[in-house]
Amino acid sequence: MSLTRRRFLGWIGAAGASTVLGRNADASSTVHFKGYPDSFAILHDISLCVGCRACETACNKVNELPPPDLPFKDLTVLNQKRRTTAKTFTVVNRFENEKNPKQPIFVKKQCNHCLEPACASACFVKAFKKTPEGAVSYDHSVCVGCRYCMVACPFEIPAYEYDNAFSPRVMKCTMCHPRLLEGKLPGCVEACPKEAISFGKRREILNIARERIKKHPERYIDHIYGETEMGGTSWMYITGAPFSQLGMREDLGITPAPELTSGALGAVPIVVGLWPVLLTGIYAISQRKEKVSAEEQALAVAEAVEKSEAAAKQKLTGELEKARKDAQKDKDSAIKQAVKKALDEAASVKQEASDV
Amino acid sequence: MSEKTLSVNKSLLTPFNIFAGVVLVIGAVITVLRFTKGLAAVTNLSDNNPWGLWIGFDLLCGVSLAAGGFVTSAAVYIFGMKRYHSAVRPAILTGFLGYALVVFALNYDVGRPWRLPYPFIVQSGTTSLLFEVGACVALYLTVLFIEFTPAAMEWLGLKKARNIVVRLTMLLTIFGVVLSTLHQSSLGALYLIAPSKLHPLWYSTYLPVYFFVSSIIAGLSMVLFESTLSHHYFEDKMDQTHLNENTGVTLGFGKAASLVLAGYFTIKIIGLAISNNWHYLTTGYGAWFLFELLGFVALPCFLYAVGVRDKNVKLIRWTALLTVLGIVLNRLNISLIAFNWQLPSSERYFPHWMEIMVSVFIVVVGILVFRFIVTKMPILYEHPDYKDTH
Amino acid sequence: MGKVRSLLIKSIIPVAIVIVSIWGIGAYGSQSQPQEGDQKHADVIMIDMLKAFGKLERPGVEFLHDNHTKALEKTKKDCAACHLTEKDRLSLKFLRLKDDSKKQVMELYHSRCIECHKQIASAGEKAGPVECGGCHKEKPGVISIRQPMGFDKSLHFRHTKAHENKCETCHHEYDEKTKKLFHAKEKEGSCRYCHKEVTEENRISDRLASHIACIDCHRKTIAAGKKAGPFQCSGCHDPEQQAMIEKVKDVPRIKRNQPDAVLIKTSKDPIQPEARMNFTPFDHKAHEGYMDTCRVCHHEDLNACNKCHTLTGTKESKGVTLDRSMHQANAVESCKGCHDLKKADVKCAGCHSFIDRTIKEEHACLKCHIKPLQQTTEPIPKSEEPLMAKALLDSRSPVTAPFSEQMLKDIPEKVVIKALAQQYEPAEFPHRKIAQTLLKNIGDNKLAGNFHPDQMTICQGCHHNSPVSIKPPKCQSCHNKPFNENNPLAPGLLGAYHQQCMGCHKAMGMEKPVGCMECHKEKK
Repeated sequence: MSLTRRRFLGWIGAAGASTVLGRNADASSTVHFKGYPDSFAILHDISLCVGCRACETACNKVNELPPPDLPFKDLTVLNQKRRTTAKTFTVVNRFENEKNPKQPIFVKKQCNHCLEPACASACFVKAFKKTPEGAVSYDHSVCVGCRYCMVACPFEIPAYEYDNAFSPRVMKCTMCHPRLLEGKLPGCVEACPKEAISFGKRREILNIARERIKKHPERYIDHIYGETEMGGTSWMYITGAPFSQLGMREDLGITPAPELTSGALGAVPIVVGLWPVLLTGIYAISQRKEKVSAEEQALAVAEAVEKSEAAAKQKLTGELEKARKDAQKDKDSAIKQAVKKALDEAASVKQEASDV
Repeated sequence: MSEKTLSVNKSLLTPFNIFAGVVLVIGAVITVLRFTKGLAAVTNLSDNNPWGLWIGFDLLCGVSLAAGGFVTSAAVYIFGMKRYHSAVRPAILTGFLGYALVVFALNYDVGRPWRLPYPFIVQSGTTSLLFEVGACVALYLTVLFIEFTPAAMEWLGLKKARNIVVRLTMLLTIFGVVLSTLHQSSLGALYLIAPSKLHPLWYSTYLPVYFFVSSIIAGLSMVLFESTLSHHYFEDKMDQTHLNENTGVTLGFGKAASLVLAGYFTIKIIGLAISNNWHYLTTGYGAWFLFELLGFVALPCFLYAVGVRDKNVKLIRWTALLTVLGIVLNRLNISLIAFNWQLPSSERYFPHWMEIMVSVFIVVVGILVFRFIVTKMPILYEHPDYKDTH
Repeated sequence: MGKVRSLLIKSIIPVAIVIVSIWGIGAYGSQSQPQEGDQKHADVIMIDMLKAFGKLERPGVEFLHDNHTKALEKTKKDCAACHLTEKDRLSLKFLRLKDDSKKQVMELYHSRCIECHKQIASAGEKAGPVECGGCHKEKPGVISIRQPMGFDKSLHFRHTKAHENKCETCHHEYDEKTKKLFHAKEKEGSCRYCHKEVTEENRISDRLASHIACIDCHRKTIAAGKKAGPFQCSGCHDPEQQAMIEKVKDVPRIKRNQPDAVLIKTSKDPIQPEARMNFTPFDHKAHEGYMDTCRVCHHEDLNACNKCHTLTGTKESKGVTLDRSMHQANAVESCKGCHDLKKADVKCAGCHSFIDRTIKEEHACLKCHIKPLQQTTEPIPKSEEPLMAKALLDSRSPVTAPFSEQMLKDIPEKVVIKALAQQYEPAEFPHRKIAQTLLKNIGDNKLAGNFHPDQMTICQGCHHNSPVSIKPPKCQSCHNKPFNENNPLAPGLLGAYHQQCMGCHKAMGMEKPVGCMECHKEKK
């Protein structure tokens, strides 16, 4: 398996082409998305909520969700902490009020429609979209059901229709996006009798929240939850009790979810571009090493052969010489012996002849 | 060969076969339930715990343990270590079957499996690491399949096709390493998006690096583990080259595994230092983390090194098993045990027996297919017709 | 094989040891909080004064004082068993008058405490610990529930009665020149004015002073066979025992020659025309009755506010000017701050929780800065200031219940809110009854009476943001569709009704009507 120059160039070209074909991934961006201009947002004034569940009723009606196990007028459900489910886009939970135990605190929970949603970043078929109106919409016609969005959401909102075998969907609040497009209010907003949920453009909502906090510093903590959490959300909250006592995590940070994975994604084209070069290089080096060692081995073998051949040749000539000498010696001694024998024989014959 | 087939036919009712048969039947029943009644009928998945055993074990462990394919072929073809050549085919087969089973298991877990091609043909969510994983796994499965086909073609006698494919080996190997790097690391990067749900001792910005490095360790150890089992059950299928090279493979891979484990241990400690989460080590989860780190990373590193030094093949083989278990533990920790650690214990997840059964079913299917291929095709031996073409 | 096994054992054992020890440390460190069900004590004294000599080798000792006094009672011993006498008063230190050295103090405690415990134990009684760890506990085992103790008017009166109004019994001042304590008549004040948190040179801390003065006196009185206050720690500091202290109703006014009415001058100038703001009359006598202690307002000493709080502020006042000291929101020492806090009372909060804290109306200032009765340019002599103040105070006309006949006719008895009635029937509510109740809530309260300009101010609690009128504008005039960009802070009609009604009910702590059906029934 030898590497020809042509083959090497071909591979490098392929590697280069694959890098160019890849999409641009902005790995580290210092720009934060502040939301589409004029997108809507919602302020939940927790100090106003009385836990009447009118919002849940309206949401169920507007989205044509199946009827609940217990009717919405049944306030005993508030004895347990609930989360959103495949049949409930929003829930109201009751919490202890440490300052005034007789007046518990109620908090409405639903999708926060983040400015840079984790679910949209996580979805590998782009089923979630952050619409210009502010709502994070879900397209069930492309959803594969991998549920990575449920893993990604830091607020633990999306729910899944696990008992549906053929067309299970991810279920979450839609901010009544179709109604928004018609100029109507979301169902829950319209239904709340205390106007504990206010609707408007995001910057207006922020202003309202700031005004309320300024006007009644004894009533609210000086923090608008959702202004910066996870890069900012479209659903914001103000309250008098610490958020961590109300089931809202304060340790989520301000980094938007897509930024958490953009570094890893950014490394992909680099690997695609660099690895073939590295590996081909290693291969070339190992081939070269093999070739060089093969050559050295051949050289060593040749030398050894030559040496042994020379030695053998020398030995052979030496032996031949010796043999020849020996043969000559034998020949000489044989001749001598024959001559002696002949002379002896001649001498004896002469003796015999002289005797007669 | 004929005497062997006769003996197989005679003893079809081996204990393992009976067990496998039972598992297959139960698995088939559960499959029907899953696709007629939905996930709720066969799993303990919930809205708080969307990913369960099938993702934690079948997907994460499966992909990491099938990494032997790219590691071995890289060692032999790119790094030129020809003395491990006999390990390539079994490793590629393990890899191919591993990835095939991962895709098989994915069909169970995902809500609408018939839509699995959607990210590629309908709408691509390229901001998602899952897209990355899916694309690379799909491509890599194809690569592995192509790398496996020469064995099948030799068995079927398709000489010309086989020769063409063999010429692609170099390209496929490089492509395979690139794809493996990408998807092994991306599986770890999947969890980067949920820092609020994964315990700080396991969560790190280096998760992709950890997953990639540990996949190399998993691959090396899995090849050793698989070779141990093959030597036990399929020794008669092995040819002389295979048997001769075996000790070399064991020692060489053991050495490599020890080195990579040492490196992995180091980067784990560095990760701890950078995130400055030492105080978690004194909690319950901390003890569990140390158990994983010391018992399944530091210990095998040490044991591999001792085994290589003393040329103790048996120790290396047992350490390979320990390491494989450690990789499984690490993946299960990240996906199930340290994930959602902030939830109260009443809301934590434990797999339904049917989920466990399906995982067992998938593993058994894998073993059966492996057995079939290994007994029929030139994996553990070289086909006599192609002996000198390597 | 044996080699492998021994190798595995050799490698696994260190790993196991590491894991177990780290786990142990973790378990050890995590249980440093006292658990539920631990003893709650008001008499816990932490003996750790050795930390003045350097780092402590062992943790401080949680000493339960009451246990020991009770034990001493049994053996008929008294405080002298542990406390030495110094200058006719008991030293609060244990068996010593001062801390000489670390060794001296430590050995004193160890020898005496342990010896006594051993003695009692050998007598067969329950005794304290004798080993090191029994006292020097690593983990805190008791929770201190000690509440600070103080005098209020009622307790002070009980003491003055018992001592026949002899102020010199407790009140003293210090003469720098003679270096002696003396009684300054009609200059008595709170102990805390001089005795602060920490003992300073030549002046003991409040804690030491109160224990020396109070406990000592109680002890002596009881020894003389008379009734006295507690001398156990828990008697004063246990919250349950504090609640049981007898409270005298209608405490007679303390006699210290304090003024009845004060004229607070806003400038050094005479009244007109140079002074900018009208002088404020202050009903000191009435305010004495509103507070439990004098310290609430006289927070540093028992003098006029402007001694420190001058117009521009002084070093003593930490720069707080007269204006700030009178008007500072959220400060109970200031006039306005205290009045604001009173508005949070359940009777008032229904309206006042909605009303802005910042003063908007101009006439609100004039409630305190009352227009002078006569225009003079002459400066007022100091002796006439109280008279002037009283005259100004008397010129006020506080609002009182009930409404006049005509008003009652004008105020509708029932109001039916038909707007927005879709899911529910129109809401009927007893309008007149509510107005009458709100007016009645003012009652004798001079604050409310004087600050509400007239009876119809009550109406403005709900009929707000419009001039006072018998026919106020309909709510719908301003509150219609919600989320109006032009008026983002005003709720829509639905929100306005519910926030106003339910908000008031909640603030006033009403138990009904609270739910939906209690105000409007559901439409069939």
